[in-house]
Amino acid sequence: MNQANLVDQPQPSPVVVRQAIEWMMRLHSNAASPRVRQRCEQWRAAHPDHECAWQRVLSLNADLHSRFQALPASGAAFDALETSAQRLGRRQTLKLLSGLLAAASGAYLAKDLAPWQQWTADFSTQVGQRSGFVLADGTRLQLNTDSAVDQNFSARQRLIKLSKGEILITCGADAQSTTPRPLLVSCKLGMVEGLAARFVVRQADAHTRLSVMEGRVLIHSPDSSLLTVHAGQSYSISGQRVERLSELDMDPGAWADGLIVSRNMRLGDFIAEVARYRRGHVGCDQDVAQLRLSGVFRLEDTDKLLAILPQTLPVRLKYRTRWWVTLQRNV
Amino acid sequence: MPSYDANLRTLYSDHHGWLNGWLRSKLGNAADAADLAQDTFVRLLNRSALPELKAPRGFLRTVARGLVIDHWRREELERAYLEALSQLPEHETPSPESRELVFELLESIARMLDGLKPTVRRAFLLAQCEGMPYKQIADHMGISLRSVERHVADALYHCYLLKYAT
Repeated sequence: MNQANLVDQPQPSPVVVRQAIEWMMRLHSNAASPRVRQRCEQWRAAHPDHECAWQRVLSLNADLHSRFQALPASGAAFDALETSAQRLGRRQTLKLLSGLLAAASGAYLAKDLAPWQQWTADFSTQVGQRSGFVLADGTRLQLNTDSAVDQNFSARQRLIKLSKGEILITCGADAQSTTPRPLLVSCKLGMVEGLAARFVVRQADAHTRLSVMEGRVLIHSPDSSLLTVHAGQSYSISGQRVERLSELDMDPGAWADGLIVSRNMRLGDFIAEVARYRRGHVGCDQDVAQLRLSGVFRLEDTDKLLAILPQTLPVRLKYRTRWWVTLQRNV
Repeated sequence: MPSYDANLRTLYSDHHGWLNGWLRSKLGNAADAADLAQDTFVRLLNRSALPELKAPRGFLRTVARGLVIDHWRREELERAYLEALSQLPEHETPSPESRELVFELLESIARMLDGLKPTVRRAFLLAQCEGMPYKQIADHMGISLRSVERHVADALYHCYLLKYAT
């Protein structure tokens, strides 16, 4: 197993991607020709980037296929897409949004919303939503708010890719498989392997946090070394840097029960945590951010959750609009 | 977070009213304008970092403009979809629930294809939606087979970048 490849995917050049697309189209139009098939295989074998681009193009094609298959075949989908795109084009021109600006904002939004992440992820949740799934090997996968996960099981391994957010995994026995297959969780900055464990992986901006509740989990480092993490321990992982975290200020897995359980947590950190579950803005003023709080809070209704805070802390809520809340010192 | 918070709050209190007015002039509708102004700030909150702003109004306009286009896209798609449905024989008309699902799917596809040249988009949609063979697309659009292949490849490349470019 090549960990470096899993974690740090190569980025094939545009030329190679174009070639992969051409090969795929050629294969589809000459599905029966063994000669084309063979030449395509030679091309794939010529360089690891070729194979990477090839796999991505195939996966893209499968995504597109399943999307378009889900549309009704009556011609209504084509008419709606084509007609509306034409009208939208005219409207943009008429309203004097220059092509340059329109394209720029389009790209900006595409990045921002990462629509692919939402739609092509095998499992995903919206802001404020949580959900759980049982995978084919018996593994239980729970997704916290605003998370996206891909599942990629092969004969040799069970790979779960966390592209954003936070998951709780309870390893399944994988009884159906004839050979043992490691259960791997990869994320932006590292990879871990669960050994009959129950654990949380959380993707933050600059690092990934691993917390083990039961069993053991291995951290795979880019240099191929392994580190065993035991129940009750948490680590921060960012590529080469792996650091043991001393006691956390909140229970890492309580969200799966719909709770935040905090211990002497800074109000600023607490509010940042609550913000993950809400659309809109929730923040707090500097002069209350250092206040501490401990307790059990229900995530079900974050408006109610926030409304509780003034009962225990010298703060008040200021609602600018329904979606814009700030905590201020109560004077 | 705190300093970012403060930046955004300043941005909000200094320019929210102006943005509202700008959007109203684009949309001609106060309720939609208020919604989109709010969405604009929410969008900024969801970004991990707010860039340093030399021209805050220009920046807000850029973000809001994207949302206006999204708004128009939804409107146009809804209109075109209803028109297309009204052409269908009654027994083929989908239920309201599946209509809703299909509409969401259409919207995400429309967003994905945003920015493609019209001929590229048309060739790609004929191939993907209608399952039309390339030769037939070429005849239908009055272009060469080679052009159809190039258009479809361009569209696939566009989708590839959306999916994989970091």
